[in-house]
Amino acid sequence: MKRNLAVILVMFAMTGIAFAAGPAIDLQTASWDQIVAAAKAEGTVTFYAWYFPDYFKEAAADFEKQYGIKANVIIGDQTANFNKAIAEKDMAVGTIDVMIVGGQWVKTTTDLNLFYGPIRNILPEANKMPSTAWEVQEGVLIKGYLAPFHRNQTGILYDPDRVKNPPQTWDELVAWIKANPKEFGFCDPSKGGSGQSFVHTAIAQIAGGLDKYKGDKELVPSKVENWNLVWKWFNDNKNNLTITVSNNDSIIRMNGGEISMTVAWDDNVKDQMSKGNLFKRAKMYIPKMGLAGGGDTMGVLKNAPHKAAALVWIAFIQSKEQQLKKFQMVGAYPARTDLTAEGTLLSEEDRKNAIPWFPAPYKDYMIKEFVKNVLMK
Amino acid sequence: MAESKNTPAVLRHVLQARRKRRLAILLTAFFIIVQIIWVGLPIVMTVLWSLVDPNHPWSYPNMFPEKLSWGQWAYVFKYTNIIRALRTSYSIAPLAVVLSFLLSMPTAYVLGRKRLPGKKLFQTLVLLPIIMPGMVVALFLSRVFTAFGLAQSFFGLVLAHTLMGLPYMIRVLTTSFEAIPQDIIDAAENLGANTFVKIKDIFLPMVRPGLLAGMVFAFTTSIEEFNLTFVIGTPTFETIPTILYSFLGYNFIRTNASVVALIMMIPNIVMLFIVENILKSDYLSASLGKL
Repeated sequence: MKRNLAVILVMFAMTGIAFAAGPAIDLQTASWDQIVAAAKAEGTVTFYAWYFPDYFKEAAADFEKQYGIKANVIIGDQTANFNKAIAEKDMAVGTIDVMIVGGQWVKTTTDLNLFYGPIRNILPEANKMPSTAWEVQEGVLIKGYLAPFHRNQTGILYDPDRVKNPPQTWDELVAWIKANPKEFGFCDPSKGGSGQSFVHTAIAQIAGGLDKYKGDKELVPSKVENWNLVWKWFNDNKNNLTITVSNNDSIIRMNGGEISMTVAWDDNVKDQMSKGNLFKRAKMYIPKMGLAGGGDTMGVLKNAPHKAAALVWIAFIQSKEQQLKKFQMVGAYPARTDLTAEGTLLSEEDRKNAIPWFPAPYKDYMIKEFVKNVLMK
Repeated sequence: MAESKNTPAVLRHVLQARRKRRLAILLTAFFIIVQIIWVGLPIVMTVLWSLVDPNHPWSYPNMFPEKLSWGQWAYVFKYTNIIRALRTSYSIAPLAVVLSFLLSMPTAYVLGRKRLPGKKLFQTLVLLPIIMPGMVVALFLSRVFTAFGLAQSFFGLVLAHTLMGLPYMIRVLTTSFEAIPQDIIDAAENLGANTFVKIKDIFLPMVRPGLLAGMVFAFTTSIEEFNLTFVIGTPTFETIPTILYSFLGYNFIRTNASVVALIMMIPNIVMLFIVENILKSDYLSASLGKL
């Protein structure tokens, strides 16, 4: 009896190990055809996102048609998605195969070593994505572990009926804010990237540019000494500014007439506009003083039950057809460098004003210090 | 008309009645206004936002939407798993209510009727799951559920929802048990009632209003439970809140969120009306001495 029990336990353990090991092939050395065959054998992929349910549902249907692999798309909430992935981190086999990664979660998940990789060397059209997007996201070194699949950009969104000459420089913006108290809004940087982008620009303008932070892997205290000037500016102008609670809250408040100018992500604006949550007359631009952009990525979980299928799913989303379809459906700018999208909110001329983020340790510090020195004062 | 010492008694009576009527009207008006602001207005706004035509945004300075359509509803039904979620939510909730009733009855009886050292502490402890932040409870409990092989299973979800409903059920039932007069129990015992008879003819009928209230709480808690369901249930199971949060959380989309909120709200309101009617008939039977 005891022997039988031991045999059963060993068999269970072996099954567990077999599951945990994922596909029988080594994904790092296998050919793409072998990976596709392994993905088809896995038969299913589970993908977690928190936006664009319309596009991802259609992409899942296209994916199933093309590969015969069922794509289970779960549209959850950003925080809940990452909390779930982190909760399952120590399980031999998790329930998520692949997920969208963005915002402050890039640093958290990278620090936790949550994703399998690198995958840049595996995906067939990886070189069609910008090289920098494979290396750095949100100021964090991602080293080819996270796959870029769309680009987005922050800009100034305004109501042309109420703002006739939108400001281009920092001085012009400051003057506009003083002349139109409470009409300029930006999101609390601890709640959304559009707010981070505005505070980032404020630091660049008030505390002596962004060049000095370039390449730093750790925060250099002497370089942030004069950030107190930035916090002073925010505190001095607190009564003239409207701080919103999320990226979309800024857009919604503009739609409701509470503010007439705000910092927003271009893809959020397009999405809200297409769903009747923002007036069609709204205009957007990147001012000459510069605002940061970025883009979300997709990562394959280390304990994904269907790793090969997850890789095929990412390659499928990165394909030319899907990048174009995504742009046509939801207006999200393609990540591929061999595609140009017509009819975006931001012109190519505007995009020249886009600026890169400073390294992640500064971004982290910026968010914490803003909360401490501005929001809590 | 001013009242004085010389005012005849009849007139004083009339004035008093008039004052009472005025007060009643004032209180009723206040109640209606409060209801309109707190309940009516948000529901009307939710309905309107759910009907905003995607091509005609409802924007400043328009007081009302330019055009109404079913576009947002069509979007939710086309691009989310709402049908599957509805099926799952309304399968789990009744089972969670039954299970929380069965599990809470003995606890509530002991807490409500027995002398127990540390009773207050126990009463506070059972409320912990609703005092702690939802995601914290979910993250810790998910470990337990995974360890016992209950994650990604229907029974696991029923159990999770039961745990979330238990604090309400226990609290309400404990109060109901406390309110039963000892005289009735003593009288029944004197007349030879055994434990079964006492449960059937005294305890259950007398805690029925509390039981129904507890069931409403447990049911709505189950229908609205998000954190634990998301962590241990998805991707195998999706419930209505998992879809609602995709429109209500980080990526807030008011129009779509309104549709899902209404889908979630309507069956709950119907259920509340039904329970309210049952409670009323209960009061009636109580007043006629039929308990």
